[in-house]
Amino acid sequence: MPNFITQNDWLAVLPLLIVGGGALVVLLVDLVWPKHAPRYVSIAIGLAVLIAAGAFAATTYGRNYNAFNGGFVLGGFAVVFQEIIIVSAIVSLALFGAFGRADRIAGITALLLWSTSGAMLMAGAANLMTIFLGLELLSLALYCLCGLADRPTSQESALKYLILSSTASGFLLFGMALLFGATGTVTLASLASPGLISNPLYWLGGGFFLAGMAFKLSLMPFHIWSPDVYEGAPLPVTAFMSVATKAGTLAVFARFAYVLPAGNKMLLPFFVIAGISMIGGNLAMLAQTDLKRLLAYSGIAQAGYMVAALAGASALGVRYAIYYLAAYMFMNLGAFAVIALLSSEREEGAQVAAFRGLAQRRPVLAAAMSFFLLALAGFPPTAGFLGKILILSANVNAGYAWLAALLIAGTAISLYAYFKVIRVMYDPHDQPVQTVRARAPLAYAAVAFCALFVLAMTFYPLTPSNVLPLAR
Amino acid sequence: MVLVLILLPMVAGCALFALPRTDRAISCITGCAVAALTFALPLVAGNDGTFAVRWLSRPFTASLHFAWSGVSLWLVLLLALCTFCAILATNMAAQSRTMIALLLLLEGTMMGVFTARDVLAFALFWDLMLIPPFFALVEWGAHRDTAWRFIIYNFSGGLTLLLATAAFGILSGSTDVIGSTHQFAGAWAPWIFAGFAFAFAVKTPLWPLHTWMPVTYAETPPPMVAVISAVQSKAGVYGFIVIALPFLRSAMVEWRWLIVALALVSLLYGAFIALTQTDGKRIVAYSSLSHLGLIVLAIASLNPIAVQGAIVYIVAHGLFSAALFLILGYIEEREETRSILDLGGLGKNNPKLAGAFTIAALAALGLPGLAGFAGEIVILTGVFRAGYFWPALIALVPIVIASAYMLRLLQDAINGPEVAVLPKRRDLTLIEGLAIAPLLAALLVLGIYPHAILTTVLR
Repeated sequence: MPNFITQNDWLAVLPLLIVGGGALVVLLVDLVWPKHAPRYVSIAIGLAVLIAAGAFAATTYGRNYNAFNGGFVLGGFAVVFQEIIIVSAIVSLALFGAFGRADRIAGITALLLWSTSGAMLMAGAANLMTIFLGLELLSLALYCLCGLADRPTSQESALKYLILSSTASGFLLFGMALLFGATGTVTLASLASPGLISNPLYWLGGGFFLAGMAFKLSLMPFHIWSPDVYEGAPLPVTAFMSVATKAGTLAVFARFAYVLPAGNKMLLPFFVIAGISMIGGNLAMLAQTDLKRLLAYSGIAQAGYMVAALAGASALGVRYAIYYLAAYMFMNLGAFAVIALLSSEREEGAQVAAFRGLAQRRPVLAAAMSFFLLALAGFPPTAGFLGKILILSANVNAGYAWLAALLIAGTAISLYAYFKVIRVMYDPHDQPVQTVRARAPLAYAAVAFCALFVLAMTFYPLTPSNVLPLAR
Repeated sequence: MVLVLILLPMVAGCALFALPRTDRAISCITGCAVAALTFALPLVAGNDGTFAVRWLSRPFTASLHFAWSGVSLWLVLLLALCTFCAILATNMAAQSRTMIALLLLLEGTMMGVFTARDVLAFALFWDLMLIPPFFALVEWGAHRDTAWRFIIYNFSGGLTLLLATAAFGILSGSTDVIGSTHQFAGAWAPWIFAGFAFAFAVKTPLWPLHTWMPVTYAETPPPMVAVISAVQSKAGVYGFIVIALPFLRSAMVEWRWLIVALALVSLLYGAFIALTQTDGKRIVAYSSLSHLGLIVLAIASLNPIAVQGAIVYIVAHGLFSAALFLILGYIEEREETRSILDLGGLGKNNPKLAGAFTIAALAALGLPGLAGFAGEIVILTGVFRAGYFWPALIALVPIVIASAYMLRLLQDAINGPEVAVLPKRRDLTLIEGLAIAPLLAALLVLGIYPHAILTTVLR
């Protein structure tokens, strides 16, 4: 090892460095500005940094970096995951145009950027050390972000997330140690070797590791934290958390599934958990009256769909998982953006009841919200519809027809929950209750942006294959 | 070309929402113009208007492929005609714009269902066509449950359709097959057929999956229910004809006794329940259950003559059920009741209304010379030919009962003693009459010359 860190290594992590360094710039500007930097200055710097990082990451697509001795692998799908994480950060930051105390925006922006860089690190992480590094960077910033609203529920949410997530991290770390003890290696590619199956220590370590990952993905039965944390956290943070943590964790998981030999049954327990999440998440969603909780349970089920796409560990399945993740990001962030437009600082807008008669007051917002909810339910012509078709085909193709049947059953259950919200908005017997936030141009832009992509992605295969190579 | 049929109504429907809520004139003129255009286009275009572009190449090939040839043409024409009449008949207090916009959206989505040449595109529009009726039920439904029943039943069907489509695509490599000679067999075929058949049976509906139907038909406003019962319910039998019958024939042969049995139960059950109802819309709703049972019986007999008869009857049932629901709508609007117990002697003061109602009801009970009879006789001939002696014999019973419940409806509402408490109302206006006339004229023309449909399908 003559050159410990080469130029290529730096290039591979440059998008992360841009995001992480950008956070420092935001803080510095806030420091030198008389009093505090205005809200839109911090947000503008944050957006610029994210767009720059996204643009740079896009140029690395298709180039193979095996940086830091295989600890961080770029090229292929890691870049797509990074782009997804960056877009979710951009939308969440846009929502902060209407949320949070102005004097805290610089700190919020910086934390959001650090959290983003952590998730981006996970997207390319190819050994256990980098995975843990990325995960902790992502989570530590999120703990702070969760507690940033001036509400007791927000602090409760942060504490709950800190304690439960740290416990899960403990399991994860213990699992990693056992895996290393059993195999003597930390790289994912060598851990996926089928020759290790006879080693009980490997199974124990793998079990702890997967439990930790399932916690971060909020799969049932490791989901208990997510509705409470989602409910209490500031709305843009919930939006970011619902996508970025799933994206980072799914990237790790997809990488592991990707290197497994085709037809390997090693991950079967994980797919069983995914099946439980689809049914359980959707069932629990039926009873919710708070939209953030409803979307939290929806996220549990949707994470189940994404993991299900990986069943059979085929390259096609990985592609569809990424497709569905991107689709989920736009539908989910779109829905959160509409909620943000209807909420005050105290966030009563997250109650389903606050949407009563919305169609009479704000027909366009009601239509947009219906569109996102229909997409989450899998109605055409949305990315949610095509995503479900692709996952179903991948499952049938890989011989996991039972998983496809569970997906259909779960979706059928979820109908009531999604349509309940749509109905509240359109029912003429329900009286309108609340006015809309006055000025939040960025949030409106976010709604339009998400709606456009949810629609366009349905027909993305129609575009020439080099325009939107969502996954390779 | 065919894209115009699908997109024009949808775009026009969305555009109408920009008009003020209370607008009627502009919406009605726009809606009628769009519907008339979609009716005329396939007739004057002179080709099958094919549009095809590759949609997916992996994991199976799928195309956005649409055309209006063959059976599709008759359903496209029926849909355009019914939409035209329904829009013309729309007169909701202060809500006409919303209703007409929903009718146009419904037309566009169903055009997609009937012209799709790709099973995945079919499934896409299948789900989409459920949304306008849901919003209509939320807006106008009398009970909260009705909209839930409609959407949960039908979308569950849509989901099994989705799963069956995915499995079909994976196992056969392509979903771009409607209208081709593709055959599909194998160990999975019965399950895939079951997935499709469930969706079609819910939509048709077949007993015992019909429980969403009477309440939906009774509570949806007349213009919308005219289109739903006349055309949307045909999406189910259309699916049997263009997807199940050609591609999954082996599976259909395996399951045919079950389908025949369910069709016969629907036939009998619908007819007997129709006899006991007092709500006019419910009588027609249960008669639909019975009539569509006959169509499914024809398809399940797998006899080509019966299937041709089924297509004639699909069009005929569309025409008379649309006419009946629109006329019942007029009556309800005038007398503020649908119960035949509270009605009576309407014919005395409203000769035009009574005349139109009589023609439609006679078509429904299968009077020779009107299209309903032409369809029934060809179906029964075909079913006999296929060797289904007893089912054909049993199917005759509900046809006789149809005379009983239709004449009872006529007798109690139009004829009979005048009910004194009802104030005297005006007869059909010119526009109301114009909305019914094309349907009745088509019933008569196709009753005398059903050959028009039979030959087109033969080719």
